[in-house]
Amino acid sequence: MPRAAIASSSGEADDERSLIARAVVGDRVAARKLYDAHAPRVHRLTYRFCGDADLAADLTQDVFVLAFRELPKFRGESAFSTWLHRVAVTVSLNAMRKVKRLRERETDLDEARHHEHESGDVDPDLRTRVAAAIDALPEGLRLALVMHTIEGYTHAEVAGALGIAEGTSKARVFEARARLRKSLGDYLEEL
Amino acid sequence: MDAEKDESTLDALLSDAARTYRVPPAPPLDAIWSQVEARAFVMTPTRQGRFAWRTLGLAMAASLLIGVAVGRVSARGDRVATETTVVAGRPPAQSPVSQAKTAAEPYQRATEEFLGSTALLLAALPRTGSADRTSTLLPEQATQLLTTTRLLLDSPVGANPRMKALLQDLELVLAQVARLQPRRESAELTMISQTLEERDLVPRIRSAVTDLSAFDY
Repeated sequence: MPRAAIASSSGEADDERSLIARAVVGDRVAARKLYDAHAPRVHRLTYRFCGDADLAADLTQDVFVLAFRELPKFRGESAFSTWLHRVAVTVSLNAMRKVKRLRERETDLDEARHHEHESGDVDPDLRTRVAAAIDALPEGLRLALVMHTIEGYTHAEVAGALGIAEGTSKARVFEARARLRKSLGDYLEEL
Repeated sequence: MDAEKDESTLDALLSDAARTYRVPPAPPLDAIWSQVEARAFVMTPTRQGRFAWRTLGLAMAASLLIGVAVGRVSARGDRVATETTVVAGRPPAQSPVSQAKTAAEPYQRATEEFLGSTALLLAALPRTGSADRTSTLLPEQATQLLTTTRLLLDSPVGANPRMKALLQDLELVLAQVARLQPRRESAELTMISQTLEERDLVPRIRSAVTDLSAFDY
């Protein structure tokens, strides 16, 4: 998977600043353009976090509602996408903490969906075990691993979205990998 | 255990997970946007529209407050004049009925404005099952009118039983409109239509405006 390209080119950034300025005063066309540019990635990330299609759609909706309401407070000190992803992470975490059933909703349906995209020669049982091991990681480690290793964000982008230092992002991914090695130890030995 | 081999195997498993772990379905972007638009921009459709309704609401509230002030000053003046009359042994310069009418005029104007605005709002409500969506301004307008309704109910206007009954019914309908939400709009509009019909509100508003000058506050 290609690395996430959050940073925009200079021209795109100018266009985006113009769209943001128009969206702040209620220009829905500008707001829609911002939405079109960022919603697919935000939805993708929220789905990776929660694993539920309906909830991911709701979270994406909440992210943009909050973002447009808070847009007047956006000072442009960071890239808009970084700010938006921070909103996405905050909204997703708050929702997931409230909805305890989330973990329980990681059902056979999700597993079936995973398997629709199967490729390569990884054993299905092992794939399921890897998914379960990722899900079992502590929240901070799981978010960093999913964003960086699964979804392809750079450590700088992960740091911006999670509100942590870049070094902390690296440390969390390192620790997450260590825990995965430990939980998958038996399987790794057999391979 | 060969750490290097484990690391390489883990890389391969995570690479596979990037393709298979919680792979998002195609997002319903248009459906999500329609909700985002309704929720994020509901209070700021046009600055002009909001300004106009706030101004109207403030004007009606101001009329009522002036009415209250004028009524109190007038009543106090009436007492002083009566006392003076008793002392001087002369009849009052203005009859009590005439003074009451003078005191009632600001309330009358405010009530007329309120009823006119409420009639306009109710006429602007889409009918049940209509393809047209309710203007996002309507709940805000209803909230403004609801405030005025309660002020009128607490004023001498509310002392008239017929007007009080009308204001209480309008209070109910305006509260329903103020709570209109895009997601449940259809069901809520049905309830509002039923209330309007059952309580015969629109004809009663027309009748009240016609008879307003005859109300005895």
